[in-house]
Parts: sequence; C-alpha cells; structure tokens
Amino acid sequence: MIATKLCKRLLIRLEGVRIVRDVLLEVENMHKAFSKHKVLKGVTLHIHHGETFALIGGNGAGKSTLMKIISGLENSDHGEIRMNQVPVTFSSPNEAHRHGVHLVPQEPLIFPNLTVEENITIGIQGHQKTLQKNVREVIKNVGWDFNLQQTAIELSIAEQQLVEVTRGLVRKAKLLILDEPTSTLTFHETRMLFETMKQLNTQGIGIIYITHRFSEIFKIAHTVAVLRDGKVSLKGPVRDFEYTDLLDALTAKQSMGLSNAPAQKTTPKNEDRILDVQNLSNESFHNISFSLSKGEVLGLAGIVGAGRTELAEALIGITSVKEGTIQFHKRKMNRLSVRKRMNEGMVYIPEDRHKNGIFSIQSVQSNLNAAQLHQLSRFLISKRKERLSGLHYIDKLKIKTEHALQRVQQLSGGNQQKVVLGKYLALSLKY
Amino acid sequence: MKTFLLYLLQRRELSIVCFMVIFVLFVGTVNDDFLQLNSMSLLLSASIILFIMAIGQSFVLITSNIDVSVGSTMGLSAAVCGTLLMQGVSTWIVFLTVIAVGATIGLLNGIGVSFLKIPAIIMTLGMLGMARGAMLLYTEGMWIDGIPNSYKQLARVELMTLPLPVWVALAILLISYLLLTKTKRGRYFYAVGDNAEGAKSVGLPVRRVTLIAFMISSVSASIAGLIFVMNIGFVPNTAGSGLELQVIAAAVLGGVSLTGGVGSVVGAALGAVFFTIINQSLVYLMIPAYWTNAISGLLLLIIVIADTKFQTFIRQRAKKRVPKPSPSLKQGVNSE
Repeated sequence: MIATKLCKRLLIRLEGVRIVRDVLLEVENMHKAFSKHKVLKGVTLHIHHGETFALIGGNGAGKSTLMKIISGLENSDHGEIRMNQVPVTFSSPNEAHRHGVHLVPQEPLIFPNLTVEENITIGIQGHQKTLQKNVREVIKNVGWDFNLQQTAIELSIAEQQLVEVTRGLVRKAKLLILDEPTSTLTFHETRMLFETMKQLNTQGIGIIYITHRFSEIFKIAHTVAVLRDGKVSLKGPVRDFEYTDLLDALTAKQSMGLSNAPAQKTTPKNEDRILDVQNLSNESFHNISFSLSKGEVLGLAGIVGAGRTELAEALIGITSVKEGTIQFHKRKMNRLSVRKRMNEGMVYIPEDRHKNGIFSIQSVQSNLNAAQLHQLSRFLISKRKERLSGLHYIDKLKIKTEHALQRVQQLSGGNQQKVVLGKYLALSLKY
Repeated sequence: MKTFLLYLLQRRELSIVCFMVIFVLFVGTVNDDFLQLNSMSLLLSASIILFIMAIGQSFVLITSNIDVSVGSTMGLSAAVCGTLLMQGVSTWIVFLTVIAVGATIGLLNGIGVSFLKIPAIIMTLGMLGMARGAMLLYTEGMWIDGIPNSYKQLARVELMTLPLPVWVALAILLISYLLLTKTKRGRYFYAVGDNAEGAKSVGLPVRRVTLIAFMISSVSASIAGLIFVMNIGFVPNTAGSGLELQVIAAAVLGGVSLTGGVGSVVGAALGAVFFTIINQSLVYLMIPAYWTNAISGLLLLIIVIADTKFQTFIRQRAKKRVPKPSPSLKQGVNSE
C-alpha cells in the first residue's frame, strides 16, 4: 500500500508536476435515486490538490448526476462530501463556488449579449475595478489573449469554454470539473486546453476531467476512475492501467444488453450500393461524395462545426442542398420531403435527443410510435396496433421501463436513446 | 457606407433618433402646423404615460418575459387614485396607496411566473382580466369625474419650462438607466434574459430578479395612472385598455428584444416618444384616429420580423469570423 503510494508520487514527480499531498475533495459513499431508479449506488472518490482526475463511464452510469451533486445542482440522498477534510453540503451552485468547486459544463453557458468581462465577473461580489484587475491577472497567468470588451456572441466554442474556466479561476476555484470539454474543440484547441490544465495543476488546483476519449486520459490524467451502473468499477493511478483495462471496466455493463462482439468487417461489394452521394454542397459543406453499401457502417468524423450534422440533415432533407445528388436505392432523393424520404426507408437519429429526439413528457409507447403514426392508422389510431408495436420494441431493444406508458422523461439517458432508436426502427427501414 | 449603416442599426438609440427626425420632417412637409413648437411640447406631454410604462416594460422584456397586464394596472391605479382624491384623502397617501396597488399586482405576476412557473403571457393575461374586472367592480362601471383642481394643477407646475410629469418621467428614466447599466444588480436582468440556465449556474438569484422586473413594470403602470388622472382630469372606465399593445410596441421599437437580454431603457423611452409622434401625426396627415391600433400592431410585427432577420445576420457574420478548424486527424481519437 505504502509502496504504491510512494510509487505514484515518484511518478508524478517525474512528470514534473508538483503535487500537494493533502486530499482536496472526498466523496464518500454517495447514493442517489430518481423515483425508483437508483443512479448512484455508493460512490467513493478522493481527489488531491494539483491532480487531474479522469472520470469515465457510459451513458446512464451516473457521471453527470455525481457531478451535479458535487457542484451543488442536485442534492444527494445519502453520502458525504468533504472539502479539505471539512464536511460540506452544497444546496446551490453558489455555495459550491464559495467552497471553491466550479463546474465547466459541456456546452458553455455563456451570456451572448454581455461582454466577456461581464460574463466572467457576473455574480461575484466586489468592486468592479478590483474584479477587472483580478480577471486580467488570471488571464495573464494562464497566458490567454482575450478582448474583455467584446460581446460573447463573437467567441468560438473553445473561447467560450476558456471564459467558463476563467469564471472558475476568478472565483478562486480549488476544484474545476471539466465535463467533456474536448468534444467541442479542435485538436489544436485541445492541446492548448491541456497546457492550461497542466499549469493549473502546478498551482495546486484539482481537476475532475470527464471524457469519452481514452487517449486523452493517458495524455493528461494522473488518476482515473470508471463509473459503471452507479458504482466505481475501477480506480487508481493512470500508470497502473492499460487501454483494455479501462475498456473492460467500462463495458462489462453491455453484457446485460446487446452482445459486445466487434462489428464484422467485410469488404462491401460494389453492386450492394444503396446510397450514393455525389458532389453535395451547400453553405455548410462543400463537394461531398461517398457511397454506402448494404450492411456497411460509415463513420463520419469531424469536430463540432465541421458540418457533420449539416450533412446528415441535408441527406434526410431537413436542409436543402445547393448542388449535387443523393441517390438512395437508385432513386434520386433531392426533391423529396423528409416524410417521403422516411417512407423510402431512410431515417435520421439526431444527436441532441432532448431537442430533436424525444417527446419527453409523453409515454414510451407514444414515442416509439411517433414516427410511424401514418402507418398505424387511416383516420383513427388503432390502440391495439400501437400497444403491440410499442411492446415489441421495448422488448427488442431491452428498454428499461416500468411499463409502456411511463414518461420518457423518467428514463435514464441510455434508455431514452434506445427509445429514439426504436422510434425510427419502427418505420420499416430499407436495407 | 454599409458599415456605417450597420453601426447605426446596432446603436438603436441613435438610429431611432435619426428615424424620428426624418419622420417629423416628412410630416412637416405635408403639414407645417406639425412643426410648431406648441404641438411639439403637447406631443411630449402626451407621450409621458407611454414613456414611463415602456421603461417599466423593458425590465420584464429584458428578462425574457412579457407583461400584458400593464394597461389594466394603469386603469385600476387611475381609478383608485380618482376615488381616493374624491374622498378627500391627502395627495401623498393617494400616491403611496396607488403605488402599493401596482406593487401588489407586480408581486402576484412575479410569484406566478418565477415560483409557480406559469408562462408570463398567461399569468399577465389573467392579471389583465382581473385588474380590469377589479377596476369595474371598484368603480361600479362609472366614470370618475370632478377630480379636485389642486391635483390637476400639479400637471401644470413647471420647473424650467417643463411640466412636473415630464420631470417625473425623466427622473424615472435616469434612475432606471443607472440601475441597469451602472450597477451589478442591473446586469442580472440582462443575464437572466440572455441565458437563464447560465445565470443559475453562476449562482444568480434568477427567480428574485424576475419577480423584481414584474414589480417594476407594474409600479411604472401605477405611476402612469397617477399622471393620467393629473393630465386628463377624469377616469373613464376604459382607461388604459389596449395600452399594453402600445407599450410593448414602443419598447420593441426602441430596440428592446422580445427574446430577452437586449435593449436599453433609453431606447424604450425614445421608442415611446417616436410612437406617440406617429400616432399624433395621423391627425396632421388627415388619417382617422381609428388607425392607431392597427398601426401599433403592424409596427410591432414589422419591427420584430426585421429584428429577427437582423439578429440572424449578425450571428452569421460572427460565425464567419471564426477561423475554420483544421481537418487534421493525425492524432486520432479513441472513442469508447
């Protein structure tokens, strides 16, 4: 035990990061349930001064709930939080700020019409002049370049995130929680963020780093914890683990659902082509050509703002294309409406399920049937068909719900996503 | 030239003054009576009620809500003011009571919207009916006539050639301007309207700010009611009905955005003046006064549509300035 501790310190020393030995935040035996659904089942984590602590976990593993509790957005049912060995409870973000805990959300919560400076200092007590001096100092310390007087609407997402971090630093944060910060950043911006994180570590600031990208953990984190099904399934110094260890700890969960076998990779034959996109262009993307064959999974990579969503929306017909052709099963789709394209057997599952994917206060059954309503009825909806179809997909996708008429809102994130998927599967797809 | 126009459009207070001057000159060429100093000062006095209420409404609009109850609140306040004066209650007590009436209505609106989570339009629409009903019950549908002269004289008290109500309006403008732009709490109104979720996450008292905005709006309507009685000298039972449309249109004309977070009280006040000019000019342009409501509504819609288009244009321009991300994928990304 002592040996591993010494080892860890030594390793961290070798990395050139000064680590203060004291523990900063202790989360002890944390429990939380929403109605009957248990989200956290006794989570214990210790984060030290000057440490970057990576937290990973699948959808619905309880990451976001845990972070909400730590940052004062949610109350826990049972369990204890200690800051610098003093027990604390945060009933509001304000209180968490006062104790030096600051959450940087995945999507920056910026006031677009206020200036950068106002965005940073809003809500802090104190004189404006001293605050301004404070902000300048913080920004200089981490080596950023901001025009404090420009309105925040003009900032890129990366800059908005830095504003969020600065908000925390100006409030003398001792613990920063970064919720998947790199999902919206370019590689260059990610590198810059990592530089900043390392620098903040040397100042003794602890960072909880939530991510989906394993490579980043090995690059930046000192310690890692994996959450699975509301419990910590693996925890320890990053050096002790390999890529596969993390993967195992993360994915054992999937055994309850779909099989975990890797996708079969067969080279698609040319004659099986079902989708053909030629020289597609509009305001958001330029000259895109690709084809998709039967049974093929085509990955579309790019950072936020590169035009992926826009391309997908153009394929399904939500937005129009300026040039190029979309051919699906040898049929030209360019002029068809979304509804017609769906009837042809092409569907789009949007990335933001809250905004575009689910009808949150409707039942699971209604959601599953929402896209195929016109197939269920001529004039009145057949109750029986609706129920059968609903139960079929609940069973097929193993959606965890109390009954078919439960509100989708009350389901966990992962199960909501299954409902979205089921909704489109219900429209007999063409392959 | 194009950038100059953009600059002008973004500084709403400036552009509205320009439009106003152009409009006044236009009406003046049609009918030069309009340019008389006399009719000008009459015009300013006529705009006072709208002026004060548009300032109050701005607070609510900036927090991304709407208050459609202000017309009735103004009517009820005027009725209370009138009856109390007729009963011989002293002026100061009348002032305090009427303002208390407004504050109560605002408090109820605020509690409904921020604590009971009723959409602002529904809450204040209900309040519109209730306040109007309360007024009719209170006055038994009668007009209040014969306000004591001593009270009516207040409207004619002049300080440095400007009548008292104008001074009151300017004082309200100054105070709200300072509150909104120079104090920390003023920023909260903008922040709440701009991004309520964000405001919560930085620990701002979102619900309290919303509640205060509604109270300011209702109190402004009460003050307008006091001035209404002073200026007109009697209270018809329709006092203030339909006024909410003009108030909202004036604020929006002055650059206060219906989507929240944008606008200034100076703009709203100028909007009120411009709005009154448009209405008053109808007489000089030989257009029947029945057009007033139609013009208010049309103006509101035109401005809102133009504003939305302009905002998307600005956003797109802002987006274009962001450098295109480099498509390098060399480092690779491992997803779960």
